[in-house]
Amino acid sequence: MGIVIHRITESQARQLISDYTYTIDDGSVSNWPTYFTDPCLYRITTRQNHEMVMPLSIMLCDNQAMLYDRVEAIEKANIFEPHYYRHVLSESKVVDKTDTTIHMETSFICVRTMLDGRVTLFATGRYSDQIVLEEGRCLFRSRVVILDSSKIDTLIAIPI
Amino acid sequence: MKKPQPALLVTWPEEGVRRIPFEVYSDPEVFKYEQEAIFRGPIWHFLGLEVQIPDPGCYVLAQVGETPVIVVRGDDGEVGAMVNRCSHKGTPLAFVPSGKVSRFMCIYHNWCFDLKGKMTAAAFERGVRGKGGMASTFNKQENGLQRLRVHTLHGLIFGTFSDETPSFADYVGADLIANIARVCGRKLRLLGQYSQAIPSNWKLYIENVKDPYHASILHAFNGVMKQDRLTMEGGIVMGSKGWSHISFSKMDFETGGEVYEEAEMRSAELNIYGFGLRDKSMTAVWDDFGDSVSMTIQTIFPNFVLQQLRNCLAVRTIVPIGTHESELRWIAFGFEDDDEAKTNGRLKQANMMGPAGLIAMEDGMIGGLVQRGIAGSLDKAAVVEMGGHGIEPIPGSRVSEGSVRGFWTGYRALMGL
Ligand code: FES
Ligand SMILES: [Fe+2]
Repeated sequence: MGIVIHRITESQARQLISDYTYTIDDGSVSNWPTYFTDPCLYRITTRQNHEMVMPLSIMLCDNQAMLYDRVEAIEKANIFEPHYYRHVLSESKVVDKTDTTIHMETSFICVRTMLDGRVTLFATGRYSDQIVLEEGRCLFRSRVVILDSSKIDTLIAIPI
Repeated sequence: MKKPQPALLVTWPEEGVRRIPFEVYSDPEVFKYEQEAIFRGPIWHFLGLEVQIPDPGCYVLAQVGETPVIVVRGDDGEVGAMVNRCSHKGTPLAFVPSGKVSRFMCIYHNWCFDLKGKMTAAAFERGVRGKGGMASTFNKQENGLQRLRVHTLHGLIFGTFSDETPSFADYVGADLIANIARVCGRKLRLLGQYSQAIPSNWKLYIENVKDPYHASILHAFNGVMKQDRLTMEGGIVMGSKGWSHISFSKMDFETGGEVYEEAEMRSAELNIYGFGLRDKSMTAVWDDFGDSVSMTIQTIFPNFVLQQLRNCLAVRTIVPIGTHESELRWIAFGFEDDDEAKTNGRLKQANMMGPAGLIAMEDGMIGGLVQRGIAGSLDKAAVVEMGGHGIEPIPGSRVSEGSVRGFWTGYRALMGL
């Protein structure tokens, strides 16, 4: 029983991007891996490295186990001042689309608020996403975060 | 010539380098004098990697204290460095961080300089239609760019402003030269770079790098990785006069490093962390240099770091920006003969470094916290007595702040404090 959706739609992809954003901004980092396929690619890089075709990442996970390891490190091992993100996203642009995959790009700005009230414009950049349908669920097969500036804030503890 | 030092900036506590007066992290006068006494003084400052400028005309910008510098490969293939300041009115000649040029032409009035910094032309040098032009006293030869003395070693480029700087070998010492040869001895391959805003004085960052005492305490992730715990075999090696250092530890690459640990310590740590890594790709490490040394952190006074964290190789420079602000510049590299698996391994292990570094993230912020804590107590001092009072390493131990005291020994010597 149940409806099997065969073709991925733009609105499903937009919904995924929106849900991901609220998950991160709500602080539920433990749900972060559920947005990705396995294997997958999540990486944060800079525009400079991207344009120079340099492979270095600021954060890199290429499978579910690595995503969960990162979550566990954030929750149990790493020490940092608690803070929250607030992402504001642009309309997403469809770069490429097949029946099973949508390549979308979305600009973002991310503001960070510390518990003592300090608010900073933390990061700006764009997401370059490969979104697929797996067993009826829309997921990121790849999400590359390309930061505009190559000078990064002191700390990126929580994924962007 | 060194100007006489201004009226004593700070009174150093009589205990010597086992006390660090908090004032040195916050006082604008101290910051200002460091520029002259240290950054424009008799030190070797890291300028970049030779792989960044492979061909004649390739340049990369660097920052020596507050002074902007161009590092460029000349037509003869030699690496040179000069101040990024036009001799006319001071405009920077290059403002794109890296590139390839045949000469430097200033945008303001088109003064031109060759790749060695020699002045070659100025717009309207002979006036317009025979009228005007440069005064007869003007001499192009006297108006070249200010050059730095350069020393390259295994692809690392260093420069100095001072004629009094000792030779590089004397400045760092034989053990540190040997470790540079060890880590950078093969042809390097650039993997990428970024910089990180550090909300503290530059010295709080370099002290943190030179302090192995905190490694297994502040960085819980080291426990998870079974890495850099003070129960592992290792030690500290001091450079010339104790100013620079290497901290190292060994592991058994075959068994994942556990043979050097004491059993009780390990179980205690595992209980605290309560997890091990699910993914093994970050811990799938190999013995890059065939000596079982899995970690080396080397500093070169005042602000350079060469890092080997297992297979994650990088250089770092901490650039002072203000009393409470610095910029940490990272360049990650591997080797040209790395196969794909090794390159991927290094890229995964790069999760340990930088602003999101599973190990490095605490290092970026700890200096800022210290600086918040010491505000209002600038007449007080830090207590640095782990491992004694001196700078001699304790054989086989890294539980020491001797290398931190070594940094301050160099600092006091140059600052006259
Ligand atoms: S400032 Fe460079 S030519 Fe005038
Ligand atoms: Fe550290």
